[in-house]
Amino acid sequence: MPSLSTQVTWIVVGYAALVAVLAVVTAVRHHERPSWLDQMVWMLELLLVVRALIGLGAFSGDGPDSMSTYVGYLVSSVCVLPIAMQSIREDRAVWSSVVVAVVAVAVGVIAVRLEMTA
Amino acid sequence: MSEVSRSGPHKALLAFYALFTLAAGARALVQLVTQYDEAPVAYWLSLAAAVTYALGWYAIREASAGNTGFASVMLWIELAGVLTVGTLSLVRSEWFPDASVWSGYGIGYGFVPLALPVAGLLWLRREKRR
Repeated sequence: MPSLSTQVTWIVVGYAALVAVLAVVTAVRHHERPSWLDQMVWMLELLLVVRALIGLGAFSGDGPDSMSTYVGYLVSSVCVLPIAMQSIREDRAVWSSVVVAVVAVAVGVIAVRLEMTA
Repeated sequence: MSEVSRSGPHKALLAFYALFTLAAGARALVQLVTQYDEAPVAYWLSLAAAVTYALGWYAIREASAGNTGFASVMLWIELAGVLTVGTLSLVRSEWFPDASVWSGYGIGYGFVPLALPVAGLLWLRREKRR
């Protein structure tokens, strides 16, 4: 049985991949960015916050091998999505969905790196 | 300001450049501070990559508002940087005991560092024709 943090990481990665795929599909079909995509992004953010809170547990005991690396991934994992959503707040055109796809993949990668450095 | 915030492919480019400024910058700073002696050349080059991405972000934002001058210089510098560091990492591997961001043409980042300036220059060419 993998640890709780590993399980949540896989949920984050799977959900981030889903968000990325749906964002690309929306863009390819030349639709405006739908509000359900935004809601999915905030759901992903919630999962990342949960993962980060669990990640705080790594500070107990010996702590992570590289503390600064770990803290870097921990902080960026929760900051990237809100900043990206702010940058496309008033832009619902096709390319704004591509931004969602890019940052969804990015937080998926960050979540995996967070798991690896814990 | 409305010119700057108009939509288009540059929004995706800006997201990439912001992410890579963060990724390369954090990586370079952590490695320079905590393990400087392992591969100082590689770590300084990572910091240079981070600065390049920050300037690239600014250049693309300016270009999307109509000022393409800086971007047409900056994106070529970035491409030259990726190609130079990538080639050096292969032919002068002794200078790189640890990887830099542009080692192996950005292989550690799925070759996105190689694709970014190319995509940026293609976008810029279209932008200039507008």
